[in-house]
Amino acid sequence: MQELKYNEAELVAMLKQRTQSAFNYLYDNYSASLYTVILSILQDKELANDTLQEVFIKIWRQIEQYNPDKGRLFTWMVNISRNASIDILRSKDYHSQKQNRELTENVYNVAGTVNIETDKIGLRKLISNLKDDQKILIELAYFQGYTQDEISKLLNMPLGTVKTRLRSALIQLRGLLKR
Amino acid sequence: MDIKSYIESGIIESYVLGLTTTAETAEVEAMANEHSEIKQAILDFEILLENQANTDLIQPDASVKTNLNKILFTPNLSEKNITSSLFNKVNTAAVHHINLSRYIAAAAIILLVISTCLNFYFYSGYKNSKQQFEALLSQQSTLQANNASYKQSLQMMEDSSMKHIEMKGTPGREQNLATVLWDKNSKDVYLYINNMQQTPAGKQYQLWAIVNGKPVDAGMINDCVGLCKMKKINHAEAFAITLEKEGGSPTPTMDEMYVMGKI
Repeated sequence: MQELKYNEAELVAMLKQRTQSAFNYLYDNYSASLYTVILSILQDKELANDTLQEVFIKIWRQIEQYNPDKGRLFTWMVNISRNASIDILRSKDYHSQKQNRELTENVYNVAGTVNIETDKIGLRKLISNLKDDQKILIELAYFQGYTQDEISKLLNMPLGTVKTRLRSALIQLRGLLKR
Repeated sequence: MDIKSYIESGIIESYVLGLTTTAETAEVEAMANEHSEIKQAILDFEILLENQANTDLIQPDASVKTNLNKILFTPNLSEKNITSSLFNKVNTAAVHHINLSRYIAAAAIILLVISTCLNFYFYSGYKNSKQQFEALLSQQSTLQANNASYKQSLQMMEDSSMKHIEMKGTPGREQNLATVLWDKNSKDVYLYINNMQQTPAGKQYQLWAIVNGKPVDAGMINDCVGLCKMKKINHAEAFAITLEKEGGSPTPTMDEMYVMGKI
């Protein structure tokens, strides 16, 4: 992990003073990791950049709502990023844009800049080590934002089974993180 | 509840990753407040994720930071601009385009109004000038006609065959003066009004020739330029003008005689 000049409590206090230098410190130290989270969900660089911008606006405006008793600042920011990304994923614009883009990619694939090997970044890289039935549950729940109830219907699997399998998948994931 | 098995159940991971339901979230938060082991387990997993998130980093576009500094730290940038920042590029282009067409439309309308006003201004000026020109034209033709009449009158006055009979104002009406020009050959009578009082409404001057002591009608005096051509008189001793009712009288009203001249 990179060395940070300020710990989270100091950073939160600085952000609440709403100085531009506090914002730029936050951005310089966290934009890449949040962008990686967003990109692992959206799998589209342009959309991910737009979403990252939206996420930092939300963080900046909602910093008063952050409660350190409930978790770390980073976790809070990741959850904002994930929720914003899933909102984009669910929007109508995303589907039409993705279709257009896929069309363009087929034409200009030679350059290879548009395609990202998202399987090799973030949590997706870890998840590729899991068994397929666990992989799909994390894919649907974490990366696509489906509720366990929705997954149960989607996979025609009892809700209890979904819950148990998802939790065991997450325990596996923790094991992979510890390595 | 067995804290250890709760921690091992996978609920902590679900909570940190944001996969718990609202009820489960509340439950985990309550448990974490009660049991420091649970709080610690949450923190441990958060840090595991955070360390993982800091590997294989991909940098976002530099434009994102520039945009954010612009959006968040430009004074007077309205709420609207912030919410639409996601589609910044497209929107600003559209806004500029709309603004430009608005300016062009506004300029066009202003020019149209000015042009319309000028049209009215020039048209009324043109109308005035035209009226003045026409008035001058008719004045000119009147003057030309008058001039011709005067020229003719002058020629006749200078004609040696014309007899001039000056009629002077009668007592009490001395300011009046008129002249009869009588062609000795053709016996035509012309009248020149040197100076006569304005006739009252409904009245008209009438010229008389005195023939053998009796007045003979020599014609009504109308507004004429220069010399007025009157009736032919073959023989007369004198001429006189009386004021009569409009259209004239068969015999003169003697006490309304204004001028008289003997030959």
